[in-house]
Amino acid sequence: MESTAALPRRSGELVFHDAWERRAFALAVALCENGHFSWDMFRNHLIHEIDAIGETAAHPRPDAPGYYEHWLRSLEKVLVEQGVCPAETFER
Amino acid sequence: MSEQHDHHSAPRNPYLEKRRTGEETIKLEQRAAAIEELLISKGLVTQEALDRLVEIYEHDLGPMNGAKAVARAWVDEDYKRRLLDNATDAMRELGFGGMQGEHMVAVENTPNVHNVVVCTLCSCYPWPVLGLPPGWYKDPPYRSRIVIEPRSVLREFGLDLDEHVEIRVWDSSAEMRYVVLPERPAGTETFHEAELAALVSRDAMIGVTHVTV
Repeated sequence: MESTAALPRRSGELVFHDAWERRAFALAVALCENGHFSWDMFRNHLIHEIDAIGETAAHPRPDAPGYYEHWLRSLEKVLVEQGVCPAETFER
Repeated sequence: MSEQHDHHSAPRNPYLEKRRTGEETIKLEQRAAAIEELLISKGLVTQEALDRLVEIYEHDLGPMNGAKAVARAWVDEDYKRRLLDNATDAMRELGFGGMQGEHMVAVENTPNVHNVVVCTLCSCYPWPVLGLPPGWYKDPPYRSRIVIEPRSVLREFGLDLDEHVEIRVWDSSAEMRYVVLPERPAGTETFHEAELAALVSRDAMIGVTHVTV
């Protein structure tokens, strides 16, 4: 585990821990800005992904996907849903 | 995370430990890279656009923007009225707008009312004026507990409010993104606007701390 949270940033604290989080973030924002999906479409997937894990304050599940994993999954889903990518692209 | 390095003193949060092993991180890295390559190859986005976007979100957007609006509201009654009336427009006056900056609402702290912001469903947050949300804002403990027991959560942040102070918890969504207008601290009567802005922290604009000198 890297402790990167203390790195100085002009605007406050570090928001991405790993490079892939930064990538997933930028892709979702860029594609939305370019009109390939609305933010609400993306956000609905994000809400669903977070909710489906069923974590609560009293019952954390450190093994379950974290915030940017939900983000990445939501990006994949909205891209398929909007016909930007065929469904098989993200089948694992 | 050690307490010494965490100057925001957020409540203890097991979700902060939710980091992936090297192997899992590599898989996630590959997944993100695959989407990126695909979208670039389809001509839907360019590497330059992605890099510029990250640069903006990591450096240009942040609580220093919201702090300017708060300081302006403290020194300019008319601006304060505009901010409370229509925060989106008032922020735009200062040049702050864009994605997740639509439908911003400023809520004012007073000696009798303390406001605090959450997004219970995901992580809605006014990006142009606060930047991207801190980890604890996105995690289940804060998202659920601030609604159920705001007074004790605020106490964990180091904010011990008098019993007579009413706490209002605002649930942000895509339709309403809240930002707190904190109280101007005593002893700042001679401060200039820029000096005031330097006092205003992100946490104060989320509502989990006060502004202090």
